[in-house]
Amino acid sequence: MTDIDIRNLGAFDEEHPPDQQLLDDCVHCGFCLPTCPTYLLWGEEMDSPRGRLYLMKEGLEGDPMSDSMVQHWDNCLGCMSCVTACPSGVRYDTLIEQTRAQVERNHVRTPKEKALRSLIFAIFPHPKRLRAMRGPLRLLQRTGLDRRLRSTGLLDRMAPHLAAMERLTPTITSAEPLPARVPATGERRAVVGMLTGCVQGAFFPGVNAATARVLAAEGCDVVIPRDQGCCGALSVHNGREQEAQAYARRIIDAFEDAGVEHIVINAAGCGSTLKDYARLLADDPAYAAKAADFESRVRDIAEILDELGPVAERHPLDLTIAYHDACHLAHAQGVRAQPRALLKGIPGIELREIAEGEICCGSAGIYNILNPEPARELGERKARNIVATGAEVLVTANPGCLLQVASAITAQGHQLGMAHLIEVLDASISGSSPEVLRSRTL
Amino acid sequence: MTPLQRLTATARALLPEDGVITDLARLRTYECDGLAHYRVTPALVVIPETAEQLAEIVRCCAEEQIPYVARGSGTGLSGGSLPHAEGVLVVTSRLRAIKEVRREDQRAVVEPGVINLDVTRAATPEGYYYAPDPSSQQICSIGGNVAENSGGAHCLKYGFTTNHVLGAEFVTAAGDRVRLGGDAPDSPGYDLLGAVVGSEGTLGIVTEVTVRLVRLPEKVVTLLVGFDSTDRAGAAVSAIIAAGIVPAAIEMMDALAIEAAEAAVSCNYPDGAGAVLVIELDGPAAEVDAEYADVVRFCEETGAFEIRTAKTPEERFLIWKGRKSAFAAVGRISPDYIVQDGVIPRTALPEVLRAITELSERSGVRVANVFHAGDGNLHPLVLFDDAVPGAGDAAEEVSRGILDLCLQHGGSITGEHGVGADKAGHMPKMHAADDLDTMQLVRCAFDPDRISNPGKIFPTPRLCGERPGRRQGAHPLQQAGIAEVF
Amino acid sequence: MSDSLAGRAASEASVSRPTRSISGVTPGRVEHPTSTAEVAEIMRAAAAAGESVVPTGAGTKLDWGSPPASADILLDLSALDQVSEHASGDLIATAGAGTPLAQLKEHVAAADQRLALDEVVPGTTVGGALATNTSGPLRMLAGTMRDLLIGVTMVRADGVVAKAGGKVVKNVAGYDVGKLLVGSYGTLAVVTEATFRLHPVPQSRRWVSVAARDSAHAAGLTQAVLHSQTVPSALEVDASAGGVRVDVLVEGRPEGVVGRAAVLSALLPGAETSAEPPAGWGRYPWNDTADSHLGIKVTFRLSGLADVLEAAGELGLRGSAGVGVAYVAVPAEREITEIRAILARLRETTGRHGGSAVVLDAPPALEQQLDLWGPVPALGLMRRVKHEFDPDHRLSPGRFVGGI
Repeated sequence: MTDIDIRNLGAFDEEHPPDQQLLDDCVHCGFCLPTCPTYLLWGEEMDSPRGRLYLMKEGLEGDPMSDSMVQHWDNCLGCMSCVTACPSGVRYDTLIEQTRAQVERNHVRTPKEKALRSLIFAIFPHPKRLRAMRGPLRLLQRTGLDRRLRSTGLLDRMAPHLAAMERLTPTITSAEPLPARVPATGERRAVVGMLTGCVQGAFFPGVNAATARVLAAEGCDVVIPRDQGCCGALSVHNGREQEAQAYARRIIDAFEDAGVEHIVINAAGCGSTLKDYARLLADDPAYAAKAADFESRVRDIAEILDELGPVAERHPLDLTIAYHDACHLAHAQGVRAQPRALLKGIPGIELREIAEGEICCGSAGIYNILNPEPARELGERKARNIVATGAEVLVTANPGCLLQVASAITAQGHQLGMAHLIEVLDASISGSSPEVLRSRTL
Repeated sequence: MTPLQRLTATARALLPEDGVITDLARLRTYECDGLAHYRVTPALVVIPETAEQLAEIVRCCAEEQIPYVARGSGTGLSGGSLPHAEGVLVVTSRLRAIKEVRREDQRAVVEPGVINLDVTRAATPEGYYYAPDPSSQQICSIGGNVAENSGGAHCLKYGFTTNHVLGAEFVTAAGDRVRLGGDAPDSPGYDLLGAVVGSEGTLGIVTEVTVRLVRLPEKVVTLLVGFDSTDRAGAAVSAIIAAGIVPAAIEMMDALAIEAAEAAVSCNYPDGAGAVLVIELDGPAAEVDAEYADVVRFCEETGAFEIRTAKTPEERFLIWKGRKSAFAAVGRISPDYIVQDGVIPRTALPEVLRAITELSERSGVRVANVFHAGDGNLHPLVLFDDAVPGAGDAAEEVSRGILDLCLQHGGSITGEHGVGADKAGHMPKMHAADDLDTMQLVRCAFDPDRISNPGKIFPTPRLCGERPGRRQGAHPLQQAGIAEVF
Repeated sequence: MSDSLAGRAASEASVSRPTRSISGVTPGRVEHPTSTAEVAEIMRAAAAAGESVVPTGAGTKLDWGSPPASADILLDLSALDQVSEHASGDLIATAGAGTPLAQLKEHVAAADQRLALDEVVPGTTVGGALATNTSGPLRMLAGTMRDLLIGVTMVRADGVVAKAGGKVVKNVAGYDVGKLLVGSYGTLAVVTEATFRLHPVPQSRRWVSVAARDSAHAAGLTQAVLHSQTVPSALEVDASAGGVRVDVLVEGRPEGVVGRAAVLSALLPGAETSAEPPAGWGRYPWNDTADSHLGIKVTFRLSGLADVLEAAGELGLRGSAGVGVAYVAVPAEREITEIRAILARLRETTGRHGGSAVVLDAPPALEQQLDLWGPVPALGLMRRVKHEFDPDHRLSPGRFVGGI
């Protein structure tokens, strides 16, 4: 009997099953357990990284892909906190994505699950459709999807979010699209491309505008190609590999002739995917090399600003700030020090650390829609820790986190300013009043 | 219905749906703890949420004569929570409430699933902490610590779990809930808690633990000292101890262990060191300062080429991170390895280290050494590649050889990882048959049917009541009605 | 052991007529073994004959505990009096059970080391201190017998010689049987040798003592010291007709000790610092050699100190406020009803504060009339332990809790 025969009896097909060698790196020490949000919630081995790896191992050893296996893999938020915690260097990020692609191919989902996923993937990765959702209930009613959603119990989850989005961005309907190129203020130090993102672009266009302003102020020509589309993050995190590859090719194409040294992104979830394009397109002979080159030039906004060093004057902002590490920035990209350094570089700012800072807020891409219950619990837990800092403004670098945490904080009866890191820098450089940030609740 | 089916039904009636696991894929995720080469799929896993539920499960096990094994975070390194194929695995990960932190009494009351480090986190705002700090403290549970009598880097000065646990609520093998010890010291009667701590779950399960909290020290100084050899590092340790200094910790790592830690966590240990010592001094500032000057002098006199003192909490953290990640980090330099745990009298350290080197050279099996140098607790990491035929056996042999060395020097086969499933076979080398038989008396008193974590610690337990040469018949006093046999 | 060897061992152990009683019970005879092997021989013979055995050392606490139900043999271990090993580099020492504690302490002191266990009853032996779990002020620093004992050799009721623990401090190979023997009043096995961990002798020490206004004040001062950064080796309270005093011992390097004593002086206004211990330090507040008092040990949560001081009232108490253990002396001439009332009051108060009140020492006549131990949790398990170790109940029968 050959290896292939044995494997065919197992959970996975031949196309990139979870890598046995990567799995073997796990020594079962358990250091990942306390960093895993679902383990914190439920205290079950199967809902810890170690347990999920074990389920992969079972699958490779010949056990069929059971509903229970899929359920526990689905339960993973993909926060990658475990990757940071692992002393043995297990690439859980790669392994779970390999596994998710297998699940999408080899596991039959219930009609209900399918419908929900289709809906999400029909909307979220499409900036235009998302923009249309700024009147979300209208959209839902028009498409007749609200009943569908309500029957899954999810409208209750989405509606407050969407309402919150509207409150946050009352003027965006009239927000002007960013120009294709924003010239550097003063001496030009770099030419960078800017990715506008889906959720960021649709719901937080102010963040993109601020990003462009700060980059320009720090001496960057900012190139913003049209027709970027989605980076593919949501697809890749949910096992929709082919879809993700198509998005990736389009992004690479969009920036190919832009003449930029770096591609800058202000959304953590997108950034971590952009930095994984080489693996995503490794099997595509036409794109493999391009993807590797592209990936090497991707920078989170905090990284590029930290690399460049400040030239624009920082005006004082008298604020206490709690900085929330977005998982896809801190764990997936290892970007922790730079945002803090940038904030500390602003006179008057007092930075406070959030307890259990390494634990996910429960947003995790579209996780909070697919798995509302654990997401809610995690959001509440995070909100409590944030409120306990006594800070006036919550700062993070990911739109999903802001949406998730805001609703939990509001639900607990607290008021907190909310801002993206870049908005704080923008306010400081432009000399705005800290009151603007303080009063910006979602 | 089979006994197991009856137990499952009982569990289902008691626990929420996800607290009873019967699905094979899920059961298999529980088949090993931190010692992953021993694997047994349990027949049933239960995750109780209250002590009452746990006791009820155990009572049912006793009725049905089904073996049970308790498990906390599943990080043990001796297979102590290795499941029983026909038994139930009782997981305490949902019993995780910190019930009380009482500064005025210097006590905390916690459930067994509470993570060790979380006790310290809860006590820190009050100026206190929980002293035992096994390297896995960020995930290991207090219940597991009680079972294994966990130590840690700081037990040289502060002692082990047994010195910090004052009371417990305990579920006997019959499923009864009893109190052992208490808030106050010296509870009247036998020190049953002293026997339970370190009994590896073979006497019963604790469902609540009262621990002593220790005042956070006024000053902590952490030094990282580079030597060109373990001999010189060992000489420094001897000089420090001989001077009457009891550091909070003295840890040693040799070149190979340093290489692994460096690869894993970039701890930036001194370049080219043949050994490093991590030395921590804590206590009142004036004491620490005085000791610090002496420690630096001893290190210089014994040939340290670099002495680094942590200036910030971050630097201290990084020094410890290298040390505490060492086991798992060895995965970076070797595909497979065995973590050994043996104890020798501290003064035998140089001799035993040389013998380990010889053993390693003779066999061609690499050994990385990490250990608590202050109390002679060795953690040799025996490296091998399982893909190479015979490599695993050769590594096992070296690993066994190291334990033999410990015993030859009057030491122990385990200082903190426990006997578990892994070292039961070594027990007769360390203990005479009569010594083991005496331990069995304790076992028989607590768990006459041997359903609590059977197969651990003891190689071949006798049946309770089997007493060689035991006198039969009633005692004359009893016959005379003077004494009562309880 | 072969028969001839056993015979020789037995012949070498001498036998004498009893001159001492055990809480009023006169033993049948006294055996004087000189080695573990001889103890084993005696125990085997006793097992065969169904004789009861009460082990003793210097006999300083023979009146402790309840009177034995039977005492065919008083096993005098005072000839097992050798410090057999002192590995100073490893900070351990091994001594025979009959070794006077003072002798062991003196032996290790030569290497600037100490067994950090106070000799609260003068003349006590290693085995006696182990069997009764006595401790003094230093327990705050180093714990009690259970924390210092790392290995033990015992002879079981059936005459089997067994060891537990070893010669290294860190050791989790099997059950810690030694802990069961500590404080077991000789009811589980006869300890013949014990190995201890040692501590370095501190270079300098200072006592800081202050008079407190009342119980509440003493408790407040105690809490202040507990939460300070002075790391005392001992924190004692001594209440008598003369008032309440709080005494703190700090030990360490001369530079450190001076600084810590100064901090304590600031915490304890009016305190005096001395290089010598205050009167009564490390002694029970009663005369060990006379039958004039009942000695009661009370334990309590740290926060219960004020209430316990109040409950002791005019009787006073002395003990380790820093760990929640103290001792109360009651004059034996008081009426039995009054003694019972005192005991009940102490039990009620200490019970409220998570502790207990145990009568350690009393005139034998009184011991018969009192519940010496009070409520004992997990007594059922204790009986099962006793039954496994001594199924015929021949070892110090009836001296311990619940009639064990």
